[in-house]
Amino acid sequence: MRKSLLNRVCVLAVLSAALIPVSCSWNEENRDNEFANTTKGNFMALWTIMDEHYCYFDLKKEKLGVDWNEVKERYSVSISDKMTPRAQFEVLCKMLGELRDGHVNLYSIYDVGRNWSWKTDYRTNFSKDLRDKYLGNDYVICGSGYYYRILDDNIGYLVVEGFDGGTTSGRLDAMFNSMALCNGLIIDIRDNGGGNQSDGEFLASHFTERKVTWGYSRYKSGPGHNDFSKLYANTISPASGDVRWIKPVVLLVNRGCYSTANDFAATMKALDNVTLLGDTTGGGGGLPMTSELPNGWVVRYSSAPTFDADTCHIEFGVAPDIRLDMDDADVLNGVDTYIEAARDFINARIVNP
Amino acid sequence: MTDSCRCSRVGSILLLLLLALLPLSAAGQRNSWSLPGYRETVRLGSFKFGSAFARDTYLSASSYDGWALGLESDSWSGYKPSRLFRYGRLHSSLVFSSMKNSINGGSTLELMSSVHYGFMWPAVESDADDLLIGPAVLFELGVLYNRQNGNNPANAEGYLGAGLCVDNTCRFRLSGHELALLTTLYVPFAGMGFAPDYDQPYWYIYRYNEYGKALHFITPFNNPAFTFQLALAVPMGKSRFTIGSSFDFMTNRLGGHSRRIDNNMISVGFVRRFQVKDWNR
Repeated sequence: MRKSLLNRVCVLAVLSAALIPVSCSWNEENRDNEFANTTKGNFMALWTIMDEHYCYFDLKKEKLGVDWNEVKERYSVSISDKMTPRAQFEVLCKMLGELRDGHVNLYSIYDVGRNWSWKTDYRTNFSKDLRDKYLGNDYVICGSGYYYRILDDNIGYLVVEGFDGGTTSGRLDAMFNSMALCNGLIIDIRDNGGGNQSDGEFLASHFTERKVTWGYSRYKSGPGHNDFSKLYANTISPASGDVRWIKPVVLLVNRGCYSTANDFAATMKALDNVTLLGDTTGGGGGLPMTSELPNGWVVRYSSAPTFDADTCHIEFGVAPDIRLDMDDADVLNGVDTYIEAARDFINARIVNP
Repeated sequence: MTDSCRCSRVGSILLLLLLALLPLSAAGQRNSWSLPGYRETVRLGSFKFGSAFARDTYLSASSYDGWALGLESDSWSGYKPSRLFRYGRLHSSLVFSSMKNSINGGSTLELMSSVHYGFMWPAVESDADDLLIGPAVLFELGVLYNRQNGNNPANAEGYLGAGLCVDNTCRFRLSGHELALLTTLYVPFAGMGFAPDYDQPYWYIYRYNEYGKALHFITPFNNPAFTFQLALAVPMGKSRFTIGSSFDFMTNRLGGHSRRIDNNMISVGFVRRFQVKDWNR
């Protein structure tokens, strides 16, 4: 009995030692959320989530003069526990709007807070009616949001409305085969709001015959504004199928090209046979991630910045090779200035390659 | 601290006290619930249900709780009596849970699996009780899926490590019935744990082959965790029926984020005893 008791005491001593860190952690981890579900608690939660996870503070300070600490001071005076949730939502959205980032949103039952100044502050340079006129009624659908036809001057015209897994390798191969005799290809991604980065790269991989580094990415590796991982090279390799397009390509871009469409523009710009025509893209170079406030509102923020091949930020867009605005007179006459300029560009390349 | 957490904590402290005190006070005697002999295996299969709690700051700053369902398997194997670790204890578990936050009903799903194997030394063997203790290999892998998130909808967490296993069997009689109280505790000490490097997207881990950044050395200080089981075995013919509770506590602070998953469950199981035939004899 005595030996049994001694053994048991020894076992309990070992157990107690093993469980000390567990019990310490238990106390800490059992804390309720760090911020209280009050108006001020939610304000501080939002400010802190952004402070520790948003990836563009230095860039926004340099380009827009946004000082996140100053933003807190300025907006905290508008916050009071007596305000209604809707009023609180409006103040928080306004605070996030200082960052002028389309990947920053606040989701609540009232609305989705957003700042789309990257698009709305500029000329649209796009008319869907005009685009549809060029597509006609007999265009080919080669995936969800992927439409094409061959224009009268033997130039292919491909519209990509979004990058949401809308096409397949077989469909793209069929499209390129049907355009085999065309002199060039116009890809129209105006007002394409993005989707999956891999889908953009998949389409771009059909326009190169060598591995190309089109840009770089990194991610937030800590809560400090400058805590980042190393840069990772973003590359595309030639598409694995038999068909690739090596004739001239003109990519039509405007301020409505955002997120993955912005990445796609940067990718295509790195290719030899591609010319970007139009306006600077809308930007959106940060891969967005999501978190939550104590009151359940969901916040989305840019957390992993993307750079172009020269390691320049693409958060504020990718500049075109040929800058152009839609001509109002053209629009009134049913002419799309961008498409016509692209046709002229390709036809000139045929005469003078 | 939520009410359910407080209850879990108090309940588990009581259970630990039971582990320490019951065997000494029980006027037990060796009954049909005994440890397996050489080449013998005792198996326990259980269905369990209860509550779950999760908080993972990679996914959300909010806490989630809800219900959990699971399956559990335990087996005790007898090795050669001459061995120091005379028994092997294998425990595996699979739990699914669905949780909501308390504010807007945002939901999170959890799938958690674990496999533990303990090499057990009989510290105490008597008619009243057996106390086994020994090193253990512990593997846990779970996935939390937050249905509100966009590019970070899920997070995996897990570890492979070495730790400690303590197993106590206390036998006693109640109204003429031979009963047994089974208590087990697993605690990891060291190993490798998985967690993204702060806001490292899974897409980056895959695309840039950066698994190294997501692997971390774990200790009880950055990955405190334990699994605790308590079951009462009641005779039912030649077998035994068990009813008990299990508590899985898994938490870590790896990669700049904190995570915690608790599963506090009631289990109902069925015990079978097997004799492995000696074909060489």
